[in-house]
Amino acid sequence: MNYLTSGQASSLLGISNDTLRRWDKKGQLKPNKIDKKTSYRYYKEENINNYLKSLDIFKLAFIWAKNKKAKEPQKIFYCNNISFLSYKLTKFENELMKINEFKESYSLLTSMAAEIGINSFDHNLGNWPDIPGIFFAYNIKNRTIVLADRGQGILRTLSRVKPDIKNDQEALNIAFTEIVSGRAPESRGNGLKYVKRIITKTDNFSLKFYSGTAELFLKHQDKNLKIKTKKDKIKGCLALIRF
Amino acid sequence: MKIELKKFGTTLISRQTGKEAYNAFLPSLRSISSQEEIIIDFTEVNTFSPSWGDEFLTKIIKKHKNQTKLINTQNLSVKNTLSLLEDINKIKFNIES
Repeated sequence: MNYLTSGQASSLLGISNDTLRRWDKKGQLKPNKIDKKTSYRYYKEENINNYLKSLDIFKLAFIWAKNKKAKEPQKIFYCNNISFLSYKLTKFENELMKINEFKESYSLLTSMAAEIGINSFDHNLGNWPDIPGIFFAYNIKNRTIVLADRGQGILRTLSRVKPDIKNDQEALNIAFTEIVSGRAPESRGNGLKYVKRIITKTDNFSLKFYSGTAELFLKHQDKNLKIKTKKDKIKGCLALIRF
Repeated sequence: MKIELKKFGTTLISRQTGKEAYNAFLPSLRSISSQEEIIIDFTEVNTFSPSWGDEFLTKIIKKHKNQTKLINTQNLSVKNTLSLLEDINKIKFNIES
């Protein structure tokens, strides 16, 4: 069994060594081994990953997406290229397929997560403002999927094909409602319309989607979009799917 | 000609791999006559997304509209993706019921 040093563990968790020490003292996250001679603390990687998965993944993504300081997300949630995201989506799909309750809806959940996640790459390739790639996490027990990027956001992306859009709210509304030409450089809008169709016609599904200062909430049978203005600005996009 | 999509994978989600699949299949498509039927079979496809579909399926259907038939489309992501692609591209697919 390979153990991580406290430095490696805190880096994996995305926190400082001092915070990790405080967590140890509070009993929040104990080391798996302490060297009696040096008092160095060691952690199993599996334990660190399980601890991260048990946290509020939406909160972690939200903090990462709105943070002024650019920093890669926790390794376990970080997909820095499409191939790795595809691998993680297939893993997610396989986990859902094994559960009887999701034997039909697994494909809807996987395809929605794919549309949101892969579009982040398609629209930011070569233009990532700081951190390339996305945050992707799910918790089947809590029935949540979270995706986030620190890309250009919906307004800037859509403005390339629709230069008159005034603000984040209008951009989000267009992305979820208007059919943008299938062959225009912008196709994120069409992916989000797919997500809207699935969410509004599936019992128990809901979506929260943030970009810039716009926040959208969508659920089963919704006819109109509810888009609010948030004080916290999300640099790129942040999505929370509940199922 | 029958195209079994499972031969490209069972999780068909990215635009990039949809494009690769289309390019790989292009030589076979060039060889078919204008009378020949193209059957696209979705058997054993687990997840199918609009991004992949737009790069592969839409291109084939636009080129060979009256020759293409889609079969075994019961999977929910397949059904919903086909319906969206029909709306975006304003075309009606020939789907075997």
